[in-house]
Amino acid sequence: MSPVVFYVAIAIVLAAVFTYLAVGRRVGTITIDNARSLMGSLDIEAFRNLVDPEEDAFLQSCLPADQFKTIKRERAWAALAYARTLSHIALEFSRFGNALRHSPDPSLAELGREVATGAVHLRMLALQATARLFISAAFPKLPQRSLRSLFEQYGHSASLLARYRMLERARKQPSQPSLA
Amino acid sequence: MQWINWLSFYLWIAPHLLLAVVAVLLWKRRLHIKFPVFVVYVWYEIAEFIVLFTISETGPHHQVWYFRVFLVTLAISVALRFGVIQEIFNNMFQEHGKLDSLARISLRWTTGFLLLGAVLIPIFAYGQTSNNLIADLAWLGRGVAIIQCGLVLFLLVFSRLYGLSVQSYMFGIALGFGILSSVELANWAMRAGGLSDSTARALNLLTTGGYHIAVLIWLGYLFAPASVIVQPRGVHVGELHHWNTELERFLQ
Repeated sequence: MSPVVFYVAIAIVLAAVFTYLAVGRRVGTITIDNARSLMGSLDIEAFRNLVDPEEDAFLQSCLPADQFKTIKRERAWAALAYARTLSHIALEFSRFGNALRHSPDPSLAELGREVATGAVHLRMLALQATARLFISAAFPKLPQRSLRSLFEQYGHSASLLARYRMLERARKQPSQPSLA
Repeated sequence: MQWINWLSFYLWIAPHLLLAVVAVLLWKRRLHIKFPVFVVYVWYEIAEFIVLFTISETGPHHQVWYFRVFLVTLAISVALRFGVIQEIFNNMFQEHGKLDSLARISLRWTTGFLLLGAVLIPIFAYGQTSNNLIADLAWLGRGVAIIQCGLVLFLLVFSRLYGLSVQSYMFGIALGFGILSSVELANWAMRAGGLSDSTARALNLLTTGGYHIAVLIWLGYLFAPASVIVQPRGVHVGELHHWNTELERFLQ
């Protein structure tokens, strides 16, 4: 392949990637439903159990080494699916928070800023957890580090979204007639 | 080939007229506060066009002068483009403390690798040695285009990976530079191979066309609306505080 063809091919691929990124960009009306349905599909307690170092230590003490390796690997793969879902939830939180930031109501805009910042942190931790779980699946003998900060951040983000839910409910509720 | 002359004339003038519209829009939306380097870049490109156009139209005997001024203005333009990419980076990550430091480290490594790649690939892959000014310039331009493309790609992919808020106009500025850099990469790669005068003139259409597309992207994204959300209306701030307090009590 001549150098000219090589560079022109790279340029065409790059232009195509830029176009793809522009087309794939989601702009328009955003609702909380995507985040809600993803949250509904995530069994956070099961995930917590799968990555619990104490649970691992208990299994290691009960099972023969070979069997423990197999089970640890399976647990890591199962936990990876949860981590990926959590990653997607973080992206949905982020989209939602960023859209809410444009609200004319300063309180809602501030809530949006908090949701977006928390979501970016959650995404960072979820990606970090994904990498760790891959390592854990590849090398089951390595000790598992706790993912406590990930669960804490998820709890924080979910509580921020709960605030927004309350507001939604307040809007839908008809005003009570006065008894006086 | 009258139509090629007309087309090249159009592609030279039109993007700069549209750039003037971009400059006005940037000023009207007070984006000069957030993107001072991009504003300088836009005005600089307009001024550069006026100078080069004047030299070109005053007569064919000014060709040497035209080339010298072109080289100097191109160098400044390239430096400003790097400034704009840095500006987009700062705006994108400024609100995210932990991610900002991670992004800075990643950007430094990316720049290092791109620089190394831009220098080493042509040397080791093809053993190319340049023997005239145009070939040297093409070699340099190709390297700069690779670095700029890589940096823009890094910005867009990194922000997408972490779901960062990238306002339409900021995304548009980055996208415009990305498209412009990839067109320039193709342009300089073809020029490095050595071209006849007529092919070089035809190739000018590619660069000016790419520039035209980039300006249209900037203009389009300046008009593009931001994401909107279906949000509760008519909720008073007092009510919001009430719900917040209730929820915090519930969570404790």
